[in-house]
This record gives sequence, structure tokens and C-alpha cells, in this order.
Amino acid sequence: MTLEPTCPPPAPPAASPDLHVRIGSLTLRNPVMTASGTFGYGGEFRDLVDLEGLGAIVVKGLSLKPARGNPPPRIVETPCGMLNAIGLENIGVEAFIRTRLPLLRKVATPVVTNLYGTTEEEYAALAGIIDAEADIAAAELNISCPNVTCGGMAFGVNAQAAASLVRSVRRRLTKPLIVKLSPNVTDITAIARAVAAEGADAISLINTITGMAIDVETRRPQLANITGGLSGPAIRPIAVRMVWQVAGAVDLPIIGIGGILTAADALQFIIAGATAVQVGTANFINPAATLEIVHGLAAYLTRHGLAGIPDLVGRLERP
Amino acid sequence: MSNELARVQWNRPLGAGYHHLCLSTSEAYAGARPGQFVMLEVAQGPAPLLRRPFSIHRRLAEGGAHRGIEILFKVVGDGTARLARRDVGDRLALLGPLGRGFVWRDGYRRVYLAAGGIGVAPLVFLLEDILPQIDREASAVFLGGRGQQDLLCREEFTRMGVAVHLTTDDGSCGQQCFLTDPLEAACATKPPDVIFACGPMEMLRCVAGIAARHKVSCQVSIEARMACGLGACLGCAVEGAAEAGDKYLHVCMDGPVFEAHRLRF
Ligand SMILES: Cc1cc2nc3c(=O)[nH]c(=O)nc-3n(C[C@H](O)[C@H](O)[C@H](O)COP(=O)(O)OP(=O)(O)OC[C@H]3O[C@@H](n4cnc5c(N)ncnc54)[C@H](O)[C@@H]3O)c2cc1C
Ligand SMILES: Cc1cc2nc3c(=O)[nH]c(=O)nc-3n(C[C@H](O)[C@H](O)[C@H](O)COP(=O)(O)O)c2cc1C
Ligand code: FES
Repeated sequence: MTLEPTCPPPAPPAASPDLHVRIGSLTLRNPVMTASGTFGYGGEFRDLVDLEGLGAIVVKGLSLKPARGNPPPRIVETPCGMLNAIGLENIGVEAFIRTRLPLLRKVATPVVTNLYGTTEEEYAALAGIIDAEADIAAAELNISCPNVTCGGMAFGVNAQAAASLVRSVRRRLTKPLIVKLSPNVTDITAIARAVAAEGADAISLINTITGMAIDVETRRPQLANITGGLSGPAIRPIAVRMVWQVAGAVDLPIIGIGGILTAADALQFIIAGATAVQVGTANFINPAATLEIVHGLAAYLTRHGLAGIPDLVGRLERP
Repeated sequence: MSNELARVQWNRPLGAGYHHLCLSTSEAYAGARPGQFVMLEVAQGPAPLLRRPFSIHRRLAEGGAHRGIEILFKVVGDGTARLARRDVGDRLALLGPLGRGFVWRDGYRRVYLAAGGIGVAPLVFLLEDILPQIDREASAVFLGGRGQQDLLCREEFTRMGVAVHLTTDDGSCGQQCFLTDPLEAACATKPPDVIFACGPMEMLRCVAGIAARHKVSCQVSIEARMACGLGACLGCAVEGAAEAGDKYLHVCMDGPVFEAHRLRF
């Protein structure tokens, strides 16, 4: 990853190309979003990142009631990646709206809430609350978290359960609905087709891949939760492959996620079929990563004489 | 809070795996407080992926002008081994200053510092900072380590004019016991106004116990695995005490320095 200069991030060149993309009815100034759970509630990064340079801000997964999360240790670094078992610790949707949204309101960047429930009813109730909030642009449904015992991934690994969930949420949500898929499945295209058929506006993928690491001296798992979700560059090739497969299976905008550190990484996802991308673990490695990627995308379009991102989406050449 | 490229001014081995690193930094660190920490890139390239947390050991000023910060670290794994190989002139990404440091209250005069091994790192900065306010004759530093090689910064403390009690597990220097033995004895005869401690969790648990028994206020600097250092990943959770509502506390935001009674040891 390029680290120089990290702060302040470079401004795009004067005659910068048009980076706008559309996700359903939502227009983003550029395709670079933050990935849920890696950018806090946005405010944590305000000293480090010009939040108005981002395509969208996706906040930490929210549940109806505040959630305590899993016991520590919750994270461990692994080769080219990290395992986490945060367990969706969050302040709850009401507290988010009351205490965190006011700051984001002042930022002219779409806010996307990532939603998590244990039952269909909880997801639907969350969707209802979000729909009533004028300053939230869209909802991303997390049906793919590997770190919670019920709900979460249970919906994301079964096409029928996923379809039924999206149907219930769709009834309560008029805002754009993004469904975030789990890679922990045999055929991700089956889940993608199921949620597309129920009216999802976009699909984001991938969430983390379930993994495990052991301290051989103590013979204990490195995480108190035993297993966790793997993220970072280690999962990027899997994520690019899955985006390419889903792009061939559904006719919806796709948001590519998984191990993106640089503009070149983001471009792989776009060429594979993603309209936008989310940057996750990279925010920990380099808090300015998102804006450096925006800058790199602009430079790429200029260098290749392209008018915009849509000219590149899914334009994979034959081997 | 600043995210910048810091230049290595020096990186000196101190023996036994300890290193003294100095980084030139921006003015953002001129206001850094004792107990605050940084997230530092240990090597360029993909491995290791995450920055590592280190306490600010001292601020470096020349002729009143801010120059940089010093870090004292111990090689314990791959990341710190790579950091040990950084050379003068290398540039490393640095995020900070982060977290909440030690809290100073009016009326503190007699102060005990307890440092286990590399836990000494933030306490030198602390003592330099509070020196004008304390009663030097009545204050003391308790340094503990496995052996003589693990007792760092002895001269710095002595130079500041406070008593230094040395303890080692192997008896190679000072008393052969844990630093908590002389600390407990001192608290029994001359209880201080406050104890500031940093070191392994076992030691801090013991220090917190001593403070509770002698009804002395106590602040401890603790560690947790961290990915971001700024409150975004929620990876650094530790259990809070029952009286604090049984909540998870986050070391990077709520700490790394805590009132000992707020933690569940
Ligand atoms: C707020 C804070 C301040 C710190 N200040 C200093 C300092 O001033 N000087 C210093 O030498 N070290 C300090 N540390 C600890 C330092 O961050 C770790 O030693 C370092 O991250 C280890 O990296 P590594 O890649 O060498 O080891 P790894 O290969 O990652 O791990 C080696 C061993 O150390 C353990 N470990 C790794 N990271 C941590 C951690 N953050 N806390 C506890 N155990 C850990 C691992 O479980 C493993 O057993 C501090 C930690 C925190 C959270
Ligand atoms: C610490 C951490 C917390 C996460 N929390 C959430 C979450 O609350 N909701 C969610 O949908 N995904 C969550 N994720 C998954 C990321 O949004 C992303 O899908 C995944 O990390 C892969 O992208 P990356 O390799 O760029 O990190 C989390 C990931 C990490 C590392
Ligand atoms: S280290 Fe990420 S929240 Fe504390």
C-alpha cells in the first residue's frame, strides 16, 4: 500500500474524471465506501479523513437493543489478514440516531446503516426505524456475520431464509436496500438470486470468512469465541472470484468487499463486476486508505482515457 | 490526532531484546500526555499487516522546540523484531497521540510508581511531567523484572531524585521478590496519595489489590490486542468491574490508563 503522503490525503487532480456511480436510486460521488465495523460510527475518523471525500459511510452493524459483544480476546493477526470475533457490539439503533447521527448529518456524504437482528421481526422493526430517518440514505442488511450464535449468518447461508427475510424487510423499507452476503456458502449465486428476486436494490459481498487460530504453547484458541471472521488481503482473491460469479448471476449493482488496500485492489473488483467497493481492514492499517483509493481510481480513469466508472464495471477481458 | 510519516532518529539496542527508538514527529505530539500511546507501523510492506501500539516513553524537545517522541520496546514477536531492524532515516507511519493518559489531581504529593519490565516505558514520561508537583523525598519508584537486564531506566529515575526500589525474580539485582512486596510494605508504613502502575496483568492485579487494601487511589496502564487504536474496531475490549456496570471497556478509548477499581482483574 502507498503510505506517502498519508496526511492530509492528496486532493484529486484539478481536472479529475467523473467518479459518480449509482446504486439503485442512490448516487455516490465516488465508488469508495467504508465497510461496516471498520469505520466505527464515522466520527472516529473525522480528524484523519475528509468524510466528504468518501462515496458513502457505512456504520457499525446496529441492532434494536444495545449489544455487549463477545468476551476478549476478540482479534488476532494472521498471515495477510486478521480474525475478529467482536460479536456485533453496538450502542443500538436508537442511541445511534440520538448520539451519532447528528455529527454525520453535518457531512454531505450518504450514511448507510448496517442492520443486524436475530429474527425476521427484529430486522423488519429495524428497517421501519431506519426508513423514518430522513438523514439515512440506505440500509445494508447483514445476513452474514459469523460471530453471533443466532440470526446473522443463519439467514445468509440458506436461500429460502434469505429470501423470506428480504421480503419482510422490503415491506418496511422504501430506501435503497443492500443485502450483504456471506462467503461461507457452497453456492453464493443461489443466495444472490434469491435476494434479488425479493427486491434487493444491491448486493454487497463478501463478509468475513469463518476461521480459527490456535496458540500451540497454551493449546488455546487465540480468540475467546474460538472461531472468528477472517478479513484483509488474505481473502481478496476469494472475494474477487465471488463478485465475478454474482455479477454473472444477477442484474443488480454489486458492491465488492474483501482485502482492498489500494486503488489497484478496488479496480479488480470493479472489473470483475462491482459498481462500488467497501474498504474494511485497510482503515486500521492506514486510516487514510479510502481517500488514497479515490485518488488512485481517478488517476486510473485518466490514464486509460475512460469517462467514468461505469465504463469499467464488469469489463473483464478474456484470458 | 495525527496520521503521519515519522522519521527514525535513532534505534538503539539496550540488550536483552530491549530497544530505545526515537522518531521525529509533527507538533501534534507537543501536547501528548503521559500514558498516551501511538499506533506505529513496524515495517513497510504487507507483513505484519497491523500497526502496533506503544506507549510514549518521552517527548523529545530541543531548546524548547518539539522534535519528536521516544519509544521503549521489547522484542516479543515478529512485529517488534522487525521494528528492531529499522534504521536511522527510515520512515514509519505513525498514528497518535491516542487514548487517555494518567490523570493528575491537585493534592497528590507522595506518589509511588510501580513498573514491571517494559511497563517502565510510560512512567519515565509521567515522573518527568509531575516532578515539580510531588514531594520527591516521600515518593518512590518500584522497579521489577525477571533479572538485572529487565530493570530499565534506573538512572533516569535516580537522576530525578526519588528513591528507587529494585526487585528481580532471580535475585540478580536488588531484592529477590516481586516488586509488590516492597510496595505493600511501603503502603503499610507510609501510604502514598496515589499509585501509578504499568506492567504485566498479573502484577497490576496485585498492585490493585494492595491499593484497595490500603485505601490508596491507583491508576494502571493496561494492554489489549488492538487493530485500530481509535475506537473503530472494538477489538480492545476488557471487562469492567461490577461497580462500573459490568460493561466492556475499550482500552484505546477509555484507557489505556484506568482507575484500578474500574477494571475486573
Ligand atoms: C496501549 C499499549 C501500549 C504499549 N506500550 C508498549 C511499550 O511501550 N513498549 C513495548 O515493548 N510494548 C508495548 N505494548 C505491547 C506491544 O504493543 C506488543 O508487544 C506488540 O504489539 C507485539 O507485537 P509483535 O508483532 O512483536 O508480537 P506478536 O507476534 O503479535 O505477539 C507476540 C506475543 O505478544 C502478545 N501480544 C501481542 N500484542 C499484544 C498486546 N497489544 N498486548 C498484550 N500482548 C500482546 C501475543 O499474544 C503473543 O503472545 C503496548 C501495548 C498496548 C496495548
Ligand atoms: C473488526 C471488524 C468488525 C466488523 N463488523 C462488521 C459489522 O458490524 N457488520 C458487517 O456487516 N460486517 C462487519 N465486518 C466485515 C467487514 O465489513 C468486511 O465485510 C470484511 O472485513 C471484509 O473486508 P476487508 O477485508 O476489507 O476488511 C467487520 C470486519 C472487521 C474486521
Ligand atoms: S483498538 Fe480498535 S477499538 Fe480499540
